[in-house]
Amino acid sequence: MIGDIPLIAALKGRMQHHQTRQKLLAENVANADSPGYKPRDLKPFDMIVAAQRADVTGSTGPARTDPRHLGGGGAASSGTKRGSLFETTGSGNSVNLEDEMMKMSQNNSDYQMATTLYGKSLSYLRLALGKRA
Amino acid sequence: MDFVKSLQVAVSGLKAQSGRMRVISENIANADSIPTSPTSDPYRRKIPRFERKFDSELQAETVRLGRVARDQKEFGTRFEPGHPAADRNGYVKIPNVNTTIESMDLREAQRSYEANLNVVTSTRRMIQRTLELLRS
Repeated sequence: MIGDIPLIAALKGRMQHHQTRQKLLAENVANADSPGYKPRDLKPFDMIVAAQRADVTGSTGPARTDPRHLGGGGAASSGTKRGSLFETTGSGNSVNLEDEMMKMSQNNSDYQMATTLYGKSLSYLRLALGKRA
Repeated sequence: MDFVKSLQVAVSGLKAQSGRMRVISENIANADSIPTSPTSDPYRRKIPRFERKFDSELQAETVRLGRVARDQKEFGTRFEPGHPAADRNGYVKIPNVNTTIESMDLREAQRSYEANLNVVTSTRRMIQRTLELLRS
């Protein structure tokens, strides 16, 4: 299976990570005026750990058919953390819109990097198969 | 798919902000709604309130416009003895709406609305990138 190749598996994990992060950032922006809301974010994704995990347990570990399963070799990150609370309004909301926009554009370019790398890896595989990439 | 969820969360934000703008525009429109008799009250300012709601289907925290509250601040008065709503001393009660505050609130709502629109644009771009993988 193509998913057993460590690089591809790690890239897939990374794309999943950016999707989840985009969801969290969307929540932060939507709740930018909700009283008592604290922004959330994901811990940075570790490519090397993800690749190694896919290397060791990718073919032997149990299949995760549901995102809530606790697998040995799953996504490398995903713990959510509450953001820093240095700027809190009177209603207890500490979302900083500029900050969220910055994070979102960063997330966007990181995702683009992952998809481009994924596409390139596939084209190298096609090259190895003897087709014109 | 998480991208669709991000879009839905952003849409909940858009809805809440546009509801807030509706309440603010009601306040501005009624800033001069004075009563017709000395015993009745003029327009009382409305305060939009946001509610966080955990959507178990989306597994995400969405936002919505909660119950609209009424501002309990006292009404202002204006000296106008000839007015039918004037009391014995010649004062008419006027709504407790401050249009400067309302327009600042409107500006803030607009800014938050734009931020949510940005989320939609950014998420759509990411979906587009995923689809481009098929083409390569």
